[in-house]
Amino acid sequence: MYLAIREMKFSKGRYLLITTIAVLVSFLVLFVTGLAQGLAYDNAASVKNMTASHFILEQDSNHRLTRSQVDQNQFEKAASIVGSENAEPLGVKMTTIVSDGATEKIDVTLLAVNSEGWLAPEAISGSPLSDQKQGHVLVDQKMMDYGVEIGTIIIDQASETKWIVDGFVKDESFSHTPAVFLTKADWSDLQAQSLAHLAGNQERDLTYNAIAVKAEKEKVNDLKNALPDTEVITKAEAIAAIPGYKEEQGSLMMMIAFLFVISAFVLAVFFYVITIQKTSQFGILKAIGTRTAYLARSVSLQVLVLSIGSLLISILLVKLFEAVLPNSMPFQLGFSTLLLTSVSFVAVSLVGSLFSVWQVAKIDALDAIGRTAA
Amino acid sequence: MKNRLELHEITRTFQDGDKERKVLDKLNLEVAEGELVAVMGPSGSGKSTFLSIAGALLKPTSGEVLLDGESILTKNKHELSELRLRKIGFIFQSANLIPYLNVEEQLILVAKLAGMKKSSAVVRAKELLAQMGMSHRQTAYPEKLSGGERQRIAIARALMNDPSVLYADEPTASLDASRGLEVVRMLSDQVKQQRKSAVMVTHDERVLPYCDRVLFLEGGTLIEKEIYV
Repeated sequence: MYLAIREMKFSKGRYLLITTIAVLVSFLVLFVTGLAQGLAYDNAASVKNMTASHFILEQDSNHRLTRSQVDQNQFEKAASIVGSENAEPLGVKMTTIVSDGATEKIDVTLLAVNSEGWLAPEAISGSPLSDQKQGHVLVDQKMMDYGVEIGTIIIDQASETKWIVDGFVKDESFSHTPAVFLTKADWSDLQAQSLAHLAGNQERDLTYNAIAVKAEKEKVNDLKNALPDTEVITKAEAIAAIPGYKEEQGSLMMMIAFLFVISAFVLAVFFYVITIQKTSQFGILKAIGTRTAYLARSVSLQVLVLSIGSLLISILLVKLFEAVLPNSMPFQLGFSTLLLTSVSFVAVSLVGSLFSVWQVAKIDALDAIGRTAA
Repeated sequence: MKNRLELHEITRTFQDGDKERKVLDKLNLEVAEGELVAVMGPSGSGKSTFLSIAGALLKPTSGEVLLDGESILTKNKHELSELRLRKIGFIFQSANLIPYLNVEEQLILVAKLAGMKKSSAVVRAKELLAQMGMSHRQTAYPEKLSGGERQRIAIARALMNDPSVLYADEPTASLDASRGLEVVRMLSDQVKQQRKSAVMVTHDERVLPYCDRVLFLEGGTLIEKEIYV
C-alpha cells in the first residue's frame, strides 16, 4: 500500500500514460459492448419484448419464425396443454409498404397478435389495438422519420391491403425493420387476399407463423409429444435465428474478445517492463527484510488501482457518448452488462499482472550485495 | 562485554564447472557490543560471500552464525526475512534509497514493515534524523540529496528497527574523502552509542582510524593486522 501509492504519486507522468492507454482500451471495450447490445436490441426488439418462454414452430423451419407455418388446430392443441391464457398465436411477415403521403417505400415486419393477449404492445401515443376496429394498425415510432403520422394510410405492396395508422409503439422491430402490429382479423383478411391473389383458393384455413407460449420444462415436453410436426424452441433460439442476428453479434463478440485480450496484454507488458526496471530496487527491499508477498501485493494493487480508475473514467465517457449518439446508432448498456464487462476487465488486468508478480518472486535479495548503482 | 555477532567455522564452497571452489574456509569472527570491525581484502577474496552469509542472505556450506547468541541457520525463508528486518541493518555501497520516498518515508517504511505504530515510527525517525544531522532534509527526495547525505539516511534507515548488527558494504565507495570520513565517523558514533556490533567491508584505508579492529580476508579466513596510518 505504502509503496504502491507513493510510487504512483511520484512517477505521475509514467502512470498517467498507462492510465490513458487503459482508459482508451476500456472505453473501446464498453463502447463496442454497448453497440453490440444496441444492435442486438434494435434487431430483435419485438421478439425480445415478448414475454413468451418458448415458441412452437413448424418442423424443419430452422428456428425461423418467417419460414414456419402452424394452423388453428395446432394452436388449439397447444392451448389445451399449457392453458389458453399461456398460448398466443403469432403471425410474422416481412414486407414493403408505401404510405399515402410519401413516395418512399419502407421495409417493415407485420406482426399479427391477439389484441387482447399478452403479445399486444402498449401504445405510446394514439389508441391501442382493438378487434372492434378493422384495418387499424400500430406502428413503431421509427416510422415517424418517414413522415408517417396517426391517421396515415399505409399500403402493403404485395397484397395492396390498406391500413390506417392508429398509434405508435416504442422499440418494436424485427431484423432491423420497424414493426407493424395488426389484429388477428386483419391477418386473416390479409391471408385471404394474398391467397386469392395467388391461386384463387379461399377455402384454406387461417395459419400463423408460430405459437408463443409461457411454459415450464415439463409442459414443453408434453408439447413436443402432443404436436409431432412441430419443434418447440426457446426464445433465445428464436432470436438467434432472426435473419442477420447471429452474424452481426458474432463479429461484434469477436471484437470484444480481442479487445479484452489486447487490454490484458497492454497492461501486462507495461507492468512487466516497469517491474524489470525496478529489479535492483526490489532486491534491496528484499535484502532489508521486505517479504515477497508484500511486494507482489504492491504491484497487484497498482494494477488494480489503475484498471479500476481508468474503468471509472471510461464509464463516464461512455455515458457522455451515449447522450450525444444519434438515434440511428443504437446503443444499449444495461447495468448488468456494464457490471459484467467491468468485472471482466479488472479480472483480465489482474491476470496480466501475475506476470510481474512472478518476476518479483524471482528477484534475489543477494543481488543487493556488491552492487554499485541502485 | 557480550558479542552480538559470532561466526563459527564458516565454510562456503561454490560449484565452478566440475571443480569445487572454496571461497570461505573455516572463517571465525566475533564482534562485541559497541565495536566496529573493518574487513578488507582484494576483490574476489570472498568479501561479498562473507557479508551475504553474515547478513542471512546466503546459507554457508557448514558453520554457524549467531546473532545475539541465537543461531540463524535453522530458520526458513520467511523467518530469515523477518530477521533481516528486525535484527540486521544494511548499509549498501550507493545508499540504495527508494527513489519515490522522501527522507522521512524511507525510515517509516522499514518501521511499518516491522509492524511499528505510525506515531512511534515518526518519533523514532525524527530522533535518528536529528542524530545524523539531517532534520532539515526531512521531506527531500533522494535525487535532491548529495552522496554523503544519502549515505547518512541509509545509516538512519539501517538503525530504524534497532537491530543487533549493522553491515556496511563499501559505504564510502562513491564519496569523496572528507564526506567518506564524515559518514564513517557517524556510523562509528552510532555503533558506540547504541551498543551495536558492526562490520564494514571497505577498500578505503582513510576511514580505518574510526574502526576498532581491521581484519583481512585472505585464503578464505580473517586475519588480524596492525593498522599503520
